[in-house]
Amino acid sequence: MTETPLPNEPAHVEAKAVALLLLMAALVLGFVIYVMYARGVFDSTQRLVLEAEDSEGVTPGMDVTFAGFPIGRVQKVELGADAKVNILVDVPKADARWLRVSSVFTVERSVVGETRIRAFSGILTDPPLPDNAHRTVLRGDAAAEIPRLLATARALLENLQTMTRDGSPINDSLANIDKVTGSLSGKYGLLGGALGGDAQAQKLMQTLDGVNGILAKADRRVFAKGGVMDDTQAAVVELRHVLEDARGSLAKVDAVLVEAQAVGANARVATQDLGSLRGEVDASLRKVNRLVDELNRKWPFATKSEIKLP
Amino acid sequence: MPLLSANRFKHPGAGLLRYLHSWWAALHLGSIALVMVLSPSTYGQAQRRATARYIYASTWQVLPWFTMLTAVLALVIIRIVVVTAASYGLSRYALEMVVRVLVLELIPLSAALFVALRASMAFDASAFAGAAGSRLRQLRIDIAPLVISHAFAVLSLAMVTSCTVLLLAYVNLYGLSPWGLPAYTRTVGRVFDPVVTMGFLLKTMLLGMAVAVIPSAAMLDLQRGPGRLQSRASSMQPGAVRLLFVLLLIEAASLALKYI
Repeated sequence: MTETPLPNEPAHVEAKAVALLLLMAALVLGFVIYVMYARGVFDSTQRLVLEAEDSEGVTPGMDVTFAGFPIGRVQKVELGADAKVNILVDVPKADARWLRVSSVFTVERSVVGETRIRAFSGILTDPPLPDNAHRTVLRGDAAAEIPRLLATARALLENLQTMTRDGSPINDSLANIDKVTGSLSGKYGLLGGALGGDAQAQKLMQTLDGVNGILAKADRRVFAKGGVMDDTQAAVVELRHVLEDARGSLAKVDAVLVEAQAVGANARVATQDLGSLRGEVDASLRKVNRLVDELNRKWPFATKSEIKLP
Repeated sequence: MPLLSANRFKHPGAGLLRYLHSWWAALHLGSIALVMVLSPSTYGQAQRRATARYIYASTWQVLPWFTMLTAVLALVIIRIVVVTAASYGLSRYALEMVVRVLVLELIPLSAALFVALRASMAFDASAFAGAAGSRLRQLRIDIAPLVISHAFAVLSLAMVTSCTVLLLAYVNLYGLSPWGLPAYTRTVGRVFDPVVTMGFLLKTMLLGMAVAVIPSAAMLDLQRGPGRLQSRASSMQPGAVRLLFVLLLIEAASLALKYI
């Protein structure tokens, strides 16, 4: 290569090279700044310390979500002096308003996928969570449920095995059911199965035939012409007539009672007059009595009244 | 073949020594190139012009269509990943997977392979033969601009394509709506933790250095031996196998550091 330009050299080679250099510098710088922004380097944050029993699945950089939205990022996971795991979380100040003193934090580990740390704030009117707050995190572990699930499933399978082995009650019951259903398919069907055999069912059938004959005879006696029902009907008609007569008699009695009531009323009036009459007679008698006493006093033959002392 | 001369069979250790020496030559050239890149005296008028020509040839001419080609391939991969993740109910992991697989791993490697392939196609041993003179002058005039331009090509192709793929991934997941930006930014931030970001940039630069240094070192190595250049003038680019090995080694080391 020489310092003189080549004959086939494109125009503005140096300018293009400088443009490329500037473009690359801008791209690398922009990329680094974007990554720093994406990692929250420029955010003002507050620290939250979550205390857990187990740090499995919790890694630096993972999100803390609230209602599905990431509001914080795990910065560090360390083992504390009290053998508890401290998960240090940086929460941007803008998102810290969703965390209250009453907020609850959970670590959930699913069978498929990553572990998730979630925050729940039930009462948003509580005071905001202070900086450097320590909170105990609750653990919801789907994988931890598997051993318990397996134990339950094993117990269930053992029960099932016990139930289905030879001589088990369920097998006996099924055998009995099989016997019953077998007898149901006999000549007398359900009746034979219920009574314990065809002979008994046959007896029952004969009894039913006899009952049928009796019922036919009773029908003839009761419902045939001149039977009990006809007599009963005539008696009912007669009874109706008797009742009509009785109703007439009662109407007459009612009238008599009305008369008697009127007589009673008159007697009451008369009794009241008799009282006043008696008063008048008493007054007249008292007058006559006084008159007789007057006459006696004035009468010459009246005995002299004297009082003798002993 | 002339390379399998009787001399090689006479001295079994000579091959190994030459092999080790060629590795040492590559490392030596890499160090010299790095020092010259950082040295202000390298950026004289002539060197600047030569570097500009190399950058124009290795980056400016290929950047548009390499970006377009990679974008089409990336679009297919993104679509496959997104649809597959959605069918298993794992959509929220789709973006992370796209970023990890495409941006962090495939794109830097494909940019490095592309630049290496293009350099091998443009390989012309006689150019070096003609320039043979003062070794330092040759390094300053020819090799340093070439090394700088190839390393820059790998870095720029990887960066431009990575940004394009990040944009494509966003559009694929959220459409043209801006409302997915916070969630997208958060996911990207979660993937690019400081270690991964530094690893990504470092790996891209190492790939660029490998692509730039190893073929040039191999070419210089050819000039040293009498008759070697003439015998290899029409064969494949020297150091191709070694370059492939180093590229895979860098990629494997990067994967091991990140995921093991």
